[in-house]
Amino acid sequence: MIAGIPLAFGAPAILFGLLALPVIWWLLRLTPPRPQAEPFAPLAILARVLKAEETPSRSPWWLTLLRLLIAGLVILALAEPVLNPRDRALSSNGPLALVIDNGWATAPDWQARTEAAETLIAEAEDLDIPVSIVFTANRRHDATPTSFERARDQLRAAKPQPLRPERSASVTALIAALGQTRPGTIAYISDGIDTPDATDAFSRLSALEASAIRIIGADDTNALALTGADNGAEELSVTASRLNSTDAASYGLTASDGKGREIAAGEIRFDTGEAEATGTISTPFEIRNDIARLDVTGIDTAGSVRLLDDSFRRRRVALISGEARDIAQPLLSPLYYINRALSPFADLIEADSEEMSVSIPKLLEQSPAVVVMSDIGTLPEDVSQSLNEWIERGGTLIRFAGPRLAAAPGNDELLPVLLRKGERELGGALSWIEPQPLANYPATGPFAGLPTPRDITVRRQVLAEPSADLAARTWASLADGTPLVTAADRGAGRIVLFHVTAEASWSNLPISGHFVDMLRRVVQLSRAVSGGGEAGSGILPPWRLLDANGALLPASGDAKPLDLTDRTAVVQAGPDNPPGLYGGEDGFVALNLFSADETLAPIAIPEFEAPVTRSAITGDSTVDFRPWLFAAALFALLVDTLIVLLLNGAFRRKTFKQASAAAPALFIVGLSLAMFTAPGTVRAQDAQPGDVDLLESLDRTRLAYVITGDEEADRTSQAGLDSLSNYLFSRTALEPGTAIGVDLETAPLSLYPLIYWPMSEDADTPSPEAISRLDAYMKNGGSVLFDTRDRIVDLGGGSSALTVRLQQILAGLDIPPLEPVPADHVLTKSFFLLDTFPGRYSDGPLWVEATPETNDPAERPARTGDGVSSILITGNDMAAAWALDDQGFPMFSTIPADPWQREYAYRAGVNIVMYMLTGNYKADQVHIPALLERLGQ
Amino acid sequence: MAPIGQLTQQTARLDALARARQRAALLPDCLAEARRVANTVIAGWHGRRKRGIGETFWQFRPYVDGESLSRIDWRRSARDDNLYVRDREWEAAHTIWLWADQSPSMLYKSDVALVSKESRALVLMLALAEILSRSGERVGCPGVMEPVASRNAAERLALALAHAPIQTALPDLGQIGRMSDVILISDFLDADDTLETCIGPASRRGIRGHIIEVSDPAEETFPYTGRTEFRDPETGQKLIAGRAETVAADYRKAWLARREALGQGVRRMGWSFLAHRTDRLASEALAAAHGHLSGIPAAKKAALS
Repeated sequence: MIAGIPLAFGAPAILFGLLALPVIWWLLRLTPPRPQAEPFAPLAILARVLKAEETPSRSPWWLTLLRLLIAGLVILALAEPVLNPRDRALSSNGPLALVIDNGWATAPDWQARTEAAETLIAEAEDLDIPVSIVFTANRRHDATPTSFERARDQLRAAKPQPLRPERSASVTALIAALGQTRPGTIAYISDGIDTPDATDAFSRLSALEASAIRIIGADDTNALALTGADNGAEELSVTASRLNSTDAASYGLTASDGKGREIAAGEIRFDTGEAEATGTISTPFEIRNDIARLDVTGIDTAGSVRLLDDSFRRRRVALISGEARDIAQPLLSPLYYINRALSPFADLIEADSEEMSVSIPKLLEQSPAVVVMSDIGTLPEDVSQSLNEWIERGGTLIRFAGPRLAAAPGNDELLPVLLRKGERELGGALSWIEPQPLANYPATGPFAGLPTPRDITVRRQVLAEPSADLAARTWASLADGTPLVTAADRGAGRIVLFHVTAEASWSNLPISGHFVDMLRRVVQLSRAVSGGGEAGSGILPPWRLLDANGALLPASGDAKPLDLTDRTAVVQAGPDNPPGLYGGEDGFVALNLFSADETLAPIAIPEFEAPVTRSAITGDSTVDFRPWLFAAALFALLVDTLIVLLLNGAFRRKTFKQASAAAPALFIVGLSLAMFTAPGTVRAQDAQPGDVDLLESLDRTRLAYVITGDEEADRTSQAGLDSLSNYLFSRTALEPGTAIGVDLETAPLSLYPLIYWPMSEDADTPSPEAISRLDAYMKNGGSVLFDTRDRIVDLGGGSSALTVRLQQILAGLDIPPLEPVPADHVLTKSFFLLDTFPGRYSDGPLWVEATPETNDPAERPARTGDGVSSILITGNDMAAAWALDDQGFPMFSTIPADPWQREYAYRAGVNIVMYMLTGNYKADQVHIPALLERLGQ
Repeated sequence: MAPIGQLTQQTARLDALARARQRAALLPDCLAEARRVANTVIAGWHGRRKRGIGETFWQFRPYVDGESLSRIDWRRSARDDNLYVRDREWEAAHTIWLWADQSPSMLYKSDVALVSKESRALVLMLALAEILSRSGERVGCPGVMEPVASRNAAERLALALAHAPIQTALPDLGQIGRMSDVILISDFLDADDTLETCIGPASRRGIRGHIIEVSDPAEETFPYTGRTEFRDPETGQKLIAGRAETVAADYRKAWLARREALGQGVRRMGWSFLAHRTDRLASEALAAAHGHLSGIPAAKKAALS
């Protein structure tokens, strides 16, 4: 080690090689580069010229210098220079006391930590001093100073534990083992995370008066712990705490289900300087309920895992009300308040039928955890039976009182207590008793711990018959002692009765925030009906435990059962109860290393009297210069090669001749550059056959017709739609491409705004799949123009074969009610003003989707047409009227033969296409004057 | 790094002949201007605009007593009472000596040159022979082939060259008759005394001559850089330039000065001088030589320039 600079040489003897540099200099100066041999006829002329020039027989000094540099670099590299060489400063005054953190945060770099400890033991071996070794997260410590072989065995046997280190206990063990011996060096390999007993441990270590203290790895830890997971209404929020808060960082979160499959992912982002952050996982409720475990991607420690159990899941709550919901007055609906109270933390399902014998079994089929019944007096016998079974299986029934319940017979078995018939009114005109506030909650009930609300008053309630166990069943009562909330266990389930209504008519409880807390507690008490077992209470055996790397392993070792009998006690993960799952396969409780309010703090190392050396865990700060020096030498060698090439004119010659000798050299340089560049992004080949056709149809709007299979009809359709496209091209802003025939069985229909379907007797009947495709097309916004081509007048009464065929087709479609185009329909105004829609025939009507009647048709010149009619039916053979042959002459004469009828047929076509493409925009156009007037222009 | 220049193999004569014929086919027949050979007795194809021995009709003239009766043109004489003699135009052929240098220095070819100097010189010589023989001129090569007035003179010349020893030194022009033309094709690098020893005496004897100097572009532009060892292909002498690019400018200057001196000297003796580079097409030199031979006067060139 050189004074002042932390630089040392592994093989300093080689540095004498530097003495050879002058010799190399002399040799290099003597040897000129080999000349390029060239035949040259006019040598005599050259000789005359060349006399003046001195031929340099030596290489230029700077080239020699460069070569010396290369030689020097190689010599230096061989001498193995190292920056920040590892300290070898163990005191030989006494045994080496090795305190090693093996808590949860040490798992990722445990190997490096043991190596650091090995190095220390090896140094102790060199000094021949005993080693006393202690692991802070272990339960039992054997800190007796021993030989380095045993210490090494102890080190190899030690494993990181999924626990917090217990530093004080281990220091106690160390002091006890050392006895009166003063340790020479105390080396502490720390995980850098503060624990409550750290200060105490350090002060006692300092009292040992060691000659030297070494703190290893206290500063550079990047521990991260998941401290909480909350299943919200929309997403799962995860809170995390980290130790090193200097930089902003982002971590991936993965959520896996009970079988270890990854089912969701999220992200948690720490801002600069923030040690805590909250991340979210947004997935549907059903998936979130399956989440059994949260992991931080890339960090495998027991602290970066969050195990979740049943209590975490969002409950499914079914709501049943006795009265029909009044949408118009939601504040009077009893379910409104329950809905608002529960929706943030539960999944609500409501009855979809007024008939309870239908709706309740349906709700129970969805296996809710909780059923809330608001003011239901009597239930049908079979419904009551199934509800009872469901409660026996573990369901929680929450009932609210009300006039109906008050009027029902009090011996309903779906009540926790016997009720007196009728309700009790407090503070009414005929009552002397004031409205009652709530009394303090019983200390043992589920509401224990909630603050007693003083502002809640109850004006009416149903009363329970006094009985011996009434007090035990009361969860909350009024100030005068009458029960407000009673509950009774039934089998695995429970019935809870609120003695007031769920809306604000009997008390102001439902409109207070307290109502939310109470409901929440009750719902949290419930459990998934399918899961039985004793999970959530009692004494649970360890089932699956986390190891330090965050893997769930079958329980073993000295984990003790988890005692949950005392509900008030906060259960902490510790040596007795390592983090993991307690219980059994049927039901379990997750015990995590960190509870919600815990954070990670860096460990504070106090001042010691002895000199303290801090270092990183491994020789990370040790920089070996050898590869760098070799690389520099290699680079200089390359430069030298280039210079020699340059001196020999390899690159200047390029200006003279095209095929340069330097080209291969350049190629090699380019190739090596290319090897250094990152590989280019590779795009997925996502082209599929048929894309070209698709793009062609997408580039231009095209009218389409159905290929019926009847050649004559198809030709007419093609010619007719082409002519209509030309007409549109010349008259409107729309510039359609040529018409295209689509095969309903295979072609993608969604590309076309309008599909023309002429009926034909010779055509094949379309398959059900084709009809179903067409149905989907129409439902997704496409429109189909059916043309029976038989001059129909009345849709229903049609008797021609074509109309019958249309009816067959329509039978497979979901067709809305139809009507002939009314006079105020948008179709009559979308481009031309029309009153008829003639084709080859003039007298048939055009049928469209019926639009609902407006109240005052006089005010509106056109009906509101939100959406476009997905179906149009005509019998006028429109394509035949549009069709022109190659010379531009009509292919068919109109009936009657009136040239204006053809023109009107075109106009009808234009209106139909415009209607398809613009839809309700055209309908809204008629309001422009009114809108402008309203804008004051 | 490959060297710029290299020495090529000797060109196959008949191969050069084929190429020469291609070049020659591009040019019209060449009647060497023969003002100076008015009194040469040897018959040839040059119309001399005076009567004499020839094949073309020139004039009818009255018969003079003493002339051979066989010379009377009886058909003409029958038309009137006089006797007429048919005179023919005097036609004379010209002897042109062609010579191409084949010394080792001519084998040089650089990367940018199309062919070696030797190959180019041979092609030029044979092409000239082809053109001239097509016009009926007598073509010879000093030391290789006596002049022949044959249509296949180029072929015979190529054949003769193939069998003759390699021509390295400038030819001895002493044997050449006075009223002949000489065309020398070489790089003229061998010796500086070309003018005194070879051309000077010949021109004083009244021999007309044309010099075609063939050079390689690398010899003119001197593209060499870096440390280069130059070797003379004839003498094997070596010269090392430390950084060749530093002398390039001086060298070019010296090169041009030498060529200028040579050209000046040649022209002063009444001969023509033509510099040709092997990166140009052979046809260019051929056309220029053709112009000189057919006597396109220097005045015309001056008017063009």
